[in-house]
Amino acid sequence: MEITKKQFKFNWRRLLFSALVLYVVFLIGPIAGLDVPAIVANIQSNPSQLIQFLIIGISNGAIIAIIALGYTMVYGIIELINFAHGDVYMIGVFTSLTTLSLTGTLTSQDPVRIVLGLIFALVVSVVVCAVLNASIERLAYRRLRNAPRLAPLISAIGMSFIIENIGLIWAGQSWLVPLFGTTGGASQKSFPDMLGILVKLSGFNGGDVNLFASTPLFTQWRLTLNVKDLLVIVLAVSLMIGLYLFVQRTKLGKAMRATAQNRDAAKMLGIDIDWVITATFLIGGGLAGAAGLMAGLYNNTAWWFMGFRAGLQSFTAAVLGGIGNIQGAMLGGFLIGLLASFSDGYLNARWTNAWVFTVLVLILLFRPTGLLGENTTQKA
Amino acid sequence: MQPNIKTGITFGIIGGLLTFLFGGWSVAVIGCFMGIGLGLGFGGRIEKSTPFNMAKEASKPGFTAAGVLLIVSLIQNFVIQGLIGKSQAELNTFIFSNLIAFLGSAGLTCLVVSFGGYDKKKEQTYKLALLAAVVIAFPFVDNFTELRWTAQIIFALIFVILGLGLNIVVGYAGLLDLGYAAFFAIGAYTTGILSSPVHNTEWNFWLVIWIAAAMAGLWGLMLGAPTLPLRGDYLAIVTLGFGEIVPVLFKNLIDVTIKEPLTCWILPLFRIQTTCITFFEHADLTLGEKGISPIGRPYLPIIGEFESSKPITWYFLIVALILLSVFIINRLRDSRLGRAWMAIREDELAAAQMGIDPVKTKLAAFAMGAMFSGFAGAFYAAYIRGIFPSVFDFSASIIILCVVILGGIGNINGVIVGGLVLMTADRLFLPALKDFLTALLTHTVLPSISNPAVQAAVSANANPILYRFLLFGLTLVIMMAVRPEGLIPNAQVRAELHANEEKKG
Repeated sequence: MEITKKQFKFNWRRLLFSALVLYVVFLIGPIAGLDVPAIVANIQSNPSQLIQFLIIGISNGAIIAIIALGYTMVYGIIELINFAHGDVYMIGVFTSLTTLSLTGTLTSQDPVRIVLGLIFALVVSVVVCAVLNASIERLAYRRLRNAPRLAPLISAIGMSFIIENIGLIWAGQSWLVPLFGTTGGASQKSFPDMLGILVKLSGFNGGDVNLFASTPLFTQWRLTLNVKDLLVIVLAVSLMIGLYLFVQRTKLGKAMRATAQNRDAAKMLGIDIDWVITATFLIGGGLAGAAGLMAGLYNNTAWWFMGFRAGLQSFTAAVLGGIGNIQGAMLGGFLIGLLASFSDGYLNARWTNAWVFTVLVLILLFRPTGLLGENTTQKA
Repeated sequence: MQPNIKTGITFGIIGGLLTFLFGGWSVAVIGCFMGIGLGLGFGGRIEKSTPFNMAKEASKPGFTAAGVLLIVSLIQNFVIQGLIGKSQAELNTFIFSNLIAFLGSAGLTCLVVSFGGYDKKKEQTYKLALLAAVVIAFPFVDNFTELRWTAQIIFALIFVILGLGLNIVVGYAGLLDLGYAAFFAIGAYTTGILSSPVHNTEWNFWLVIWIAAAMAGLWGLMLGAPTLPLRGDYLAIVTLGFGEIVPVLFKNLIDVTIKEPLTCWILPLFRIQTTCITFFEHADLTLGEKGISPIGRPYLPIIGEFESSKPITWYFLIVALILLSVFIINRLRDSRLGRAWMAIREDELAAAQMGIDPVKTKLAAFAMGAMFSGFAGAFYAAYIRGIFPSVFDFSASIIILCVVILGGIGNINGVIVGGLVLMTADRLFLPALKDFLTALLTHTVLPSISNPAVQAAVSANANPILYRFLLFGLTLVIMMAVRPEGLIPNAQVRAELHANEEKKG
């Protein structure tokens, strides 16, 4: 009880320090678009924009949360930042785009065929990414499980580089996917807006992608809630609920939690550690694959370097929620999505990554355990 | 087959493969380097005796290697050159270069091995003298043979300095810094801003290089102070983020307005009237993607201003900077601070119990490491005469990490060798391989493919430069799996990395 009292004791030094940090943020923030008077004026003149950014933020946050789950699960079990995870997601985008192209879905005029093609692409992307993630573990991390902490981290960075290069080569194969064009692998590729095409072809909602276009509330406030927003949110939330139930209710989920708590003890109780770790990587990779298709459909781009940026944002989300904590990663994902969306809208899109990073440093400064994380022991 | 002969053949084939790609006079230069390499590799493996006997022993692999090199060179000139549609070398040049290659490689092998016959002190002196001779002679030989390698070697040497700096952080203090290129960028941009006519501040290079180093060190302190108390993998991701942000920062610092927040809007919120203090208004610091160019160059009394058409002057400048860095880092390593770094790397808790302040010590490592990249950045900016934000991205940080890992964590010689091997592979070997493959394909395979789509796909993918990230990534993964202590390991690090294996066994 004494300890809790001490924690809640008012700390002048901490307050002063926080005020100083806040002051510095406001002092140099305007360089990166944090011009408070201008933002306030912006919101006052057009308040409905706020809701629009909220919708975009939640949709993007759903994708970030799905990727963050992969980081947090792996970290929870083997205490390793899987740097290659963001790049597995990038491979997911390319796999689904290639599958869509090879099955002829991209050029199809038949709505049923497009729906089937999308489902098939989702399955292929999930399977490819799951297997890729598990093989990364097998090839690069397993033999380093008892090595000093630095070794698997460096191996993970190397793996990330290798996969990025695979993406770069893949994006240059125009014979495989004609859509890539002849500009080489380094440029950003467009991912066709299949959902928009699907809505137009099927005549759903009168062929309008904006779901509530005819509702007076939406027309008055000039809001849009697109089919893709809804699909991404629904898919992401159902994946999260599924994962939560899996981890809480199934035997394998129980084994995962046991392994995360104490690997040696779990081993003694007859849990096959290697299989549990492989399963974790499979699930994380599968989620990244699903996120890949979702992000492709939502943002309509495919780029070999997108995995790095997404990885940084998702990792920040995982840390914000408390790394190793599944609900935390979901919460963090949505918060980072909102932050990114508001930064794009009100601050300056060029500086969004800088703001995400600033948030990461601030969390680590003030609450390294994250919002929902428990105090883990510090193992250097 | 005798092992001696086998070693000779291996070295001969490696040297020969390089000759394959470059052709012309390269055989002479490669032959001499091969001889020294073979001598160093072979010398450690034979029993100590008199210098003459040792040289005699070494002549077997030496001449085998020289013979293999000669055969490869003949094939290269008379078969491959024709196949890839290039003309053969002039007979005069060909005979001379091969003669030098043959005698040079065999002779240098014997010479280097014979050093082993003297006592320890003399051996060291002779080896250093040979090394100095090679370092000094290289640019002149390169100039004479028109290989134009010096400009690329200068890049390799820039990465050697960066590797030496990162080695303090990763190797000595055991902190994984994945955004080291950020400090490189800070050094380069400091130089750019302070010595470019674009900003009307043309300060002297000899002054700016110190300011750049100090600036990089200062940023190291500023980033390290909040993050170093964290555990190691959080540090890795924070530095990764920092490395990602800094190029973005330099790309976007084109319209800088800084106003003091208290007077400008916080106090007016409470209806207190103040005058707004403005520090900058719409200042363009970095010129964005266009980059800062031109940048002032160093000037010395006798040599005059350094020019990019004369890489020799730059070469000696960077060699001098490396020597200075090696001297400083050597002294640092053996100082109280250096020993504290290693103590922290081994066991932070125990070190703290012995009275070492972990955060302060780590911070010192971070700042010192950053300082050396400031040197490298200043040199780079002056050498290229222009700096662009895209140079300093994430991949640069990882390449520097590769240099340290490949050479050997915590070992100065290892880092130098690692930097030279990796960067010459990246900057000389891959482009040469690309030219070679392109020429080979256009003269052999491609005409026989009738389908234009397949033809385009083959020629687009047969570009080794596309696979350079794969090269670096594989370097990291394979080194970690097979030889985590690097090519030339530090005894202490090696023991630490293999400690767990012994425990298990």
